[in-house]
Amino acid sequence: MSEKNHKRPKNLDLLHIRLPIGGVVSILHRVTGVLLVLALPPAFLLLQQSLRSPESFAQVVTLLSSLPARVVLLGITILLVHHFLAGVRHLLLDLDVGISRRGGQLGAWLVLAGVAGVVSIAAGCLFL
Amino acid sequence: MKTMNTRGSGSAHRGLGEWLLQRLSALYLTGFTVWLVAWLSLAAPADYIAWKAWMAAGGVRLAFALFFLSVLVHAWTGMRSVFLDYLKPLWVRFVGQLLLAFGLLALAFWAAQILLVEAAV
Repeated sequence: MSEKNHKRPKNLDLLHIRLPIGGVVSILHRVTGVLLVLALPPAFLLLQQSLRSPESFAQVVTLLSSLPARVVLLGITILLVHHFLAGVRHLLLDLDVGISRRGGQLGAWLVLAGVAGVVSIAAGCLFL
Repeated sequence: MKTMNTRGSGSAHRGLGEWLLQRLSALYLTGFTVWLVAWLSLAAPADYIAWKAWMAAGGVRLAFALFFLSVLVHAWTGMRSVFLDYLKPLWVRFVGQLLLAFGLLALAFWAAQILLVEAAV
């Protein structure tokens, strides 16, 4: 163990290391997770206002129907769908599903393909 | 670099508990999200009355209560692993976790208010 530690590379040149696709999907899971936490307070506020009175409900509907709001909603959808699918991949990895080198790569590409598919449908619902 | 004693950074059992909580909350959030998206696409409420009536139903409010609990637990475990990896000076990590804890606690009270006041009939 200690002998192994001596051979560990030092001064890793981060610019010359290509993160494998599984690593990209995994780090995006963290990034989307942090951003989704930041989206919680506005989401709580919208839910509260939508339930408070008929007038505030109408205001929320008007706000969410505006073009800028729909762009933001599409952004949140991308975050959520990616976090959801990458999270399911992590749960499957816990069960040793797709844990091999090729399985891991395939799973990561499937996540990205799934995100593209679901987000396309969501974009259609939001803008068409 | 000296080998670090893993026990120096906290109890091993607590790590297992957080690992489990993260996955259990993930499972509930998965099911809840699928259910909510399916309901919104198949039978979205037409107006305020329908929306309010749906949210006031006991089962729906219980589902939302468990959702709020899961999402806050999930945010805590997830943000904690991010902080543990990237916030390096110990005091920065401590301040970050303190702010996170207060923030999530505030969201928990807010969620309770939504469920008990606004979502009530």
